[in-house]
Amino acid sequence: MKADFRRGGAWFAEPLVWVFAGMNFIFLGCAVGLGIFLVVESVPVLRAEGLGFWSGENWWERFGALPMICGSLIVTGMAVFLVLPVALSGALFTSEFLPPSFRRRVKGIMELLAGVPGIIYGLLGVSFLTTGIKHAFNLLDGNTLFTAGVLLAIMILPMVLTLSEDALHSVPSEFREAAESLGLTKLQTALRVVLPQSLPGIVGAVLLGTGRAMGETVAVLLVVGSLDRVPGFNLFVSGQTIPSKLGREAAEALGSGLHWSALMGLGLTLFLLVAVLTFSGNLFFRRSRQ
Amino acid sequence: MNAITAEKSVLAFIGCVTFLIVALLFLILGIMFLKGLPSLHGGFLFEESKDFGRAGGVFYQLAGTLILMAGAVLWSLPVALGSVLFQTEYLRAEKFKTFLTQLTYILNATPTILFGLVGYLFFGVYMDTGVSWVTGSLILAVMILPTLQVSIREAVETLPEKYREAGMALGLSRATQIWRIILPQSFYGLVTGVLLGLARAAGETAAIMFTATTFSGIQFPQSFSDPVPTLQTHILVLAQEAANPESIAQAWGAGLVLLGLVFLLTLAAWSFRTRLVMESEL
Repeated sequence: MKADFRRGGAWFAEPLVWVFAGMNFIFLGCAVGLGIFLVVESVPVLRAEGLGFWSGENWWERFGALPMICGSLIVTGMAVFLVLPVALSGALFTSEFLPPSFRRRVKGIMELLAGVPGIIYGLLGVSFLTTGIKHAFNLLDGNTLFTAGVLLAIMILPMVLTLSEDALHSVPSEFREAAESLGLTKLQTALRVVLPQSLPGIVGAVLLGTGRAMGETVAVLLVVGSLDRVPGFNLFVSGQTIPSKLGREAAEALGSGLHWSALMGLGLTLFLLVAVLTFSGNLFFRRSRQ
Repeated sequence: MNAITAEKSVLAFIGCVTFLIVALLFLILGIMFLKGLPSLHGGFLFEESKDFGRAGGVFYQLAGTLILMAGAVLWSLPVALGSVLFQTEYLRAEKFKTFLTQLTYILNATPTILFGLVGYLFFGVYMDTGVSWVTGSLILAVMILPTLQVSIREAVETLPEKYREAGMALGLSRATQIWRIILPQSFYGLVTGVLLGLARAAGETAAIMFTATTFSGIQFPQSFSDPVPTLQTHILVLAQEAANPESIAQAWGAGLVLLGLVFLLTLAAWSFRTRLVMESEL
């Protein structure tokens, strides 16, 4: 009986390895294929525009992507700037001052909040944020880069908070005990001992949050105003980000032509930006774990 | 004395900030209920939408979202399970393993609209599935692949070493070990992954809005090349008619249904994960 069972296993084993290897190959193909497709499909526009693709300011006659790149950088930078103090305060309080049961509840709420679909944030943004900002700053149009930045800050808050809280919490308790035995107060311990120790992890958390903000499409698309121009230093004007541009125009350019290639070129630019952020974020995480 | 009051006020300040952050969830939930409940009349879930989304219900939109979600998991689960088992049970080359893990992270962080762009080109144009629910579910399948992989890998890797040793001591072949020990013992991780993947697919708009969906005029897909209406794109279209109060009211109703769906799936995933934690502590 047992022997039969074993032979059954051995008979089963050979094809199974190949099935698993095949599945792994599909996964590899999906990930690598994504990058290859983006590169290959953006060749026509890069050949037509050269480096001007990234420095041109005009999308309609020449396919210059500068307005979208600037918009993406401004909106993402603003989101990070706004989220940093809030998320760090929250993470510090949750990790160092809340009892474990409350800590777990806060983490749970953050996880739930991180799962709220982007389209819901978009709907909330369209209904409240745009009109709120329009009245607060006395603007003609509430759909601005500033609005998108605020909305993105709210969207990435739970992720940045929970990841930097993990980094703070993983500092060994010996550090805290040693600091407190030297007479430091709890806040001094948190700020001068725990925070510096967990800095790589926090930087990693912020970088991953930045990547998330840079790639968000629908929420930004609904509130950013969708105007292709280099915004300069004024945040309270309509603008365009790379994902919002892709979302607006992909449907009409589907398939072939230079327009499609230009969109793929934008996609490639976005992919490279996010890949660099994610890669360095993970590097920092690995350093913080050592 | 002064230092103590300073410390206390800083603590009070960051405590308040934390409280406000936590309150954000309840604020969002509150707004969704306040705005969404009035349009949730008796048949909202079971009627088709009328008059370009200004009246009626969201039956076919909900059905479309569910079709895409289910399709995504059906395509994604075998690939995720197979690749994780290959990486944990068979693959020996450490460098290749690290490379594959990195690839999972990169795929997880990739902006979702890029899955839409490249997925449409690969599935829709080269494999000739067009703008259809098949294209959409394939794109979503690639998108949720890392979610499933991470959950399954965590469950397989946290399996106590003694289980494997016991299996080896019994002289089981590797395939039998996988079938009789690893799969049953990490089943909860698999379910968690599937539920989180479903939640992620349900909340996704950018990847499907120009590859799989249509706004109105379609009910159930009649063939593989039909697009479907979905809750996400329904909200997207209605939200852009901000001047029209009836459209916005319908958008809130659809938003409440979508949020309920996503939260339900996330909470279900948690209940499975806590069972997983309890099992591994035994």
